[in-house]
Amino acid sequence: MINILQTRLIHWKKQIFTLLFWLLLPIVTTILVTNVTSAIQDDSKVPVGIVLEENTPLAKDLVTSIKQTPFIRVYETTEEDALLKIEQHELDSAFVIKAGYDEQVRKGSRNRLITSFQSDLSFAFTPVSEMIISYVQQDTGRSKAAFTVKNLSDNAGLSKQWTWEEVVAKSKEIEAKENLLHTTFTFADSGQENDGKGITIWKPWGLWAVFSILSTLLLFDWLIKENRSSLAPRFTFIRITFKNYMVINALFYTILLFIFDLIAAGAFFLFLEEPFNLHSIGVILSYRLMLNAGAFLLALCFKNVYLFYSVSFVITLLVAITSGAILPIDGIIQSYQWLEYLNPLATFLSNKISVIWLIIFSFIIGLWHVRKEKSHA
Amino acid sequence: MLNVTNISKKYGKKSILSSISLSVQKGEIIGLVGENGAGKSTLLHILATIQKPTDGVISLNDMSYDKNKKVIRKQIGFVPQDIAIWDEFTVEENMIFFEKLSWRKKSKIELKQLCLDMELDKWKEPTKTLSGGMKRKLNLAISLIHDPELLLLDEPTVGIDLKSRKEIGTYLKNQAINEKKSIVYTSHDMDEIISLCDRVICIGEDPFYKSILIDSGKEVISF
Repeated sequence: MINILQTRLIHWKKQIFTLLFWLLLPIVTTILVTNVTSAIQDDSKVPVGIVLEENTPLAKDLVTSIKQTPFIRVYETTEEDALLKIEQHELDSAFVIKAGYDEQVRKGSRNRLITSFQSDLSFAFTPVSEMIISYVQQDTGRSKAAFTVKNLSDNAGLSKQWTWEEVVAKSKEIEAKENLLHTTFTFADSGQENDGKGITIWKPWGLWAVFSILSTLLLFDWLIKENRSSLAPRFTFIRITFKNYMVINALFYTILLFIFDLIAAGAFFLFLEEPFNLHSIGVILSYRLMLNAGAFLLALCFKNVYLFYSVSFVITLLVAITSGAILPIDGIIQSYQWLEYLNPLATFLSNKISVIWLIIFSFIIGLWHVRKEKSHA
Repeated sequence: MLNVTNISKKYGKKSILSSISLSVQKGEIIGLVGENGAGKSTLLHILATIQKPTDGVISLNDMSYDKNKKVIRKQIGFVPQDIAIWDEFTVEENMIFFEKLSWRKKSKIELKQLCLDMELDKWKEPTKTLSGGMKRKLNLAISLIHDPELLLLDEPTVGIDLKSRKEIGTYLKNQAINEKKSIVYTSHDMDEIISLCDRVICIGEDPFYKSILIDSGKEVISF
């Protein structure tokens, strides 16, 4: 085994740059694409100026709610600066939360709480102002409810006296529980829902999985290069059969690729805040075994390395499109459910351990291994 | 040492070899000649255990090929007609690569000496930059790493310059005389065959090769 590893190291030393390129491609591409698309998404958000004339809890809560709204980039500024930036079209619109906002809301007053500014080029003013109004309505509604509850408990002479803050807190709690209108946006993954906060176009592990298919397939070209007929007679006169030589080398590639998979998990944890635990290591390992077994079998079918490269690109593209890793495919999956079972990426994206394809591939490799070689009778 | 009795080879209905019998003693060099397609390479592949004969019996040191293939392979050094080396490796890397997979362990010094013995002195050179003669020498050196008793060479000097051809010839002669290795050798170069071989086996129906060999005074066996 050590001797075969030493022969593999000679090969790897010769192709160190190519090898590193394909090993690092899924990691680097995933981080780059995720960061670039996040930056683009950030730039495409509507710039809105918020001027806060008082620092009360209600006013701050309102600003926080606006900030958490997707597709809006909030700049806290002064009224003068906001007006200047609207004039220069750096801001789409601006909203001034007037001094006394907290007091007015607590009184149940809904007049002149916020002043808004827009320019002739403010394309998002209406939806943004409607959204802010809805937040203010929510606050004033809660406040009104709080006063009503308080009055009722005073009039009824109940022993338990509710404060304004307690009623508001309870109202928020009920609202969270009884969320009436809830929309979700999902990729074909763990069913993890994104309620709009921080929607990303690309799912990092989905991207990584797709690029891993490509890099693994292209790295397995060694099997075609080393399976050349001119070298075949040499393997009759060495200690192991050519089939065992290939299987053991595939094992070395699997170990090497799995090490880089763990590096990927670490990098995504650090740079993309993707969770990383023992279960995810198991899922990655099963995906890696399945992927390498598939790449091994595919490479065995080819004699021409360029044809193998072309087929590898096509397979990667097909798997990527049908997996939902890059484009949401809920509609397609609903119409053709068998696609989900067939796609080797589906289990990985569901955060489950890949078993079916691994068993199928291992079985075929086993058959290939026990089949007698005609040329080395 | 090597005994071949009545072997024949057929591909479907087509007969390639029929009733070939021969024996090779220790330290003997046997030449194998014949026109293209006569079956020289097929015979060599059968002797190397790469192909099976349709009929007949072969034994090496009284061990039957049928039952002792693995042991017999350890005693055979086969030099294929196509140069079977890693082009992207240096001479050193090629030697180390095949030594790691070989039955017999050899130190780097021993491997280098093996190359030097056949005037292959470009140890650190990438093989793709080597001349045809140097590549042929490396092709031969790799087959000798495990110190085989029987050397089977399929046109080992084809397409190389005269100097390299002479060097390979001298090396093989030394191996037969000093190391008592048995060598079976195919070639189209009759001068080389006449100067190098103790006996010659002529396969095929073309009388051309036989006529040259009879004039040389060599012992010729025809099939």
